[in-house]
Amino acid sequence: MNGRVKLDFQPAVRALRVFGQFMRVGFVNTLAYRLRYYTGIVTYFIYVAVYYFIWKAIFEHGQKIEGFDFSQILTYIAVGWIIRSFYFNNIDQDMAQQVIEGKLAMDLIKPVNVQSMYVAQAFGEAVFRLALLTAPTALVLLLVYPLRWPAGWASFLAFFWSVVLSFFIVAGINFAVGTLAIRLQSILGLLRAKYFLLELFSGLLLPISFFPHAAQKVLAVLPFQYISYVPVLLYLGKLRGLAMARALGVQLFWVVALMALGHAMWRWSTRKITIQGG
Amino acid sequence: MKRHLRLFGLYFAQYFKVRLAYKADFFIAFFSSMAASVIGFGFVFVLFTKIPRLQGWTFNEILFLYAFSLLPLGFFNVISWNLYEFGDLYIIQGRFDRILLRPINTLFQVLFEKFRIESLQEVVTGLAVLTIAARRVGGHWTAADYAWLPVVVLCGSVIYLSVFLILTAVSFWFEDRVGIVPPVFNMLTFGRYPLTIYNVFIQFMLSWIIPFGFASFYPTTHFLHRAQFNAYFHLVPVVAAGFFSLACIIWGRGVRNYSSTGS
Repeated sequence: MNGRVKLDFQPAVRALRVFGQFMRVGFVNTLAYRLRYYTGIVTYFIYVAVYYFIWKAIFEHGQKIEGFDFSQILTYIAVGWIIRSFYFNNIDQDMAQQVIEGKLAMDLIKPVNVQSMYVAQAFGEAVFRLALLTAPTALVLLLVYPLRWPAGWASFLAFFWSVVLSFFIVAGINFAVGTLAIRLQSILGLLRAKYFLLELFSGLLLPISFFPHAAQKVLAVLPFQYISYVPVLLYLGKLRGLAMARALGVQLFWVVALMALGHAMWRWSTRKITIQGG
Repeated sequence: MKRHLRLFGLYFAQYFKVRLAYKADFFIAFFSSMAASVIGFGFVFVLFTKIPRLQGWTFNEILFLYAFSLLPLGFFNVISWNLYEFGDLYIIQGRFDRILLRPINTLFQVLFEKFRIESLQEVVTGLAVLTIAARRVGGHWTAADYAWLPVVVLCGSVIYLSVFLILTAVSFWFEDRVGIVPPVFNMLTFGRYPLTIYNVFIQFMLSWIIPFGFASFYPTTHFLHRAQFNAYFHLVPVVAAGFFSLACIIWGRGVRNYSSTGS
């Protein structure tokens, strides 16, 4: 083996650096609106409060439903909303706005991959929210409600990486949906429907195991439950060992698949383009 | 009054034309937000496959409550669009100057300059689901019941409008960038379930401080024959009138307090 094997890391390093720069932009942009996060904490608190009372009324006789007792379901709901404050992003809305304002042309002339630009900015925002929204919300909810701790160190670690993957799944879906704005012009109604769809089918409102069996079968082959249901099951220790590894593996698969889908949809959408105004 | 009605028609027609500039978009918005309303009920639907009743309320009764809550909400959403951006557009950018120059009521102009027409789907969806739920709940509807329905729907819309008008009027004094509106808006969800499931504090708040209970829960108790809430039901118009007067007074003071940004 005398041949000169020269690995070229340059493109990857450059891509990462660009990703890092856009992440910083997202982070700094969000800094300007930090006051909004105080009301954000209140909003999440209200959501959890509503569901606290609903579930309390449901479990008034102290029974178990699908293997969940009241304390588990309360933790399920609260952790679900806490991680939502991290993985949630507005890539689709931002893209729709760019299309309406005719600023999409700017995205097209930048010499970077548009998808990774949007995802990087959103990730910067998410890191920001982790400190200013997710952490305080978690603290407040922990103080007010008798929540459970993670089922163990392994569960917590798996949960952590699972939530990071959740972010990329949501980002992948949102970018793909956002590309629809290019041909449909304005997609605000569509985004609203998607919002409720994700809330329900991600398992944020109630565990997927509560759904009728036929619905569960359909949901099993869709990416949605890997956004909230699976991470929280990891937190609660309901997925261990092989199931844990498998869950993370499937999440990773969906990240790659959805990013590929978004990439393809972007290429298809930008083949024919109308820029409004300018 | 007659002049205002005519103007309302003109404003509405004008905005409708604006929206129809993107015809496909308008229809997609209409039907996808209709889908959103239906999916919004998915939680309760799935839940009731696991439990027979929620603190004595059956699935059909909760369905009735949810469907009813869409009616005042739909009307409110149609006209409330401008309230969300009021601080930014009218106060900070100074558009309110233009409003003051016209010889028409300021509130009238702000509310009716922009309509979220697709929110009418909430009224359509709500009525359809309400009919199904009412039939499944059973019981006889008297002529008086039919007369009460539009009255309490109107009152509900007025209550929502009043609450958000008060919150919006705050931007006459504070250039509100923090946003107290979103958390309050999220409280609308509270009203979609029987108030009795909440603790005393929240029940009190939803009745007398942010009276969303009077916009959805208390009105439905009459049609679902829960006699213990009769007194509250008859208070619905009173609460609506009271909060609307309060909102108008605060708005009026705000207008007097307005000073232009000068831009």
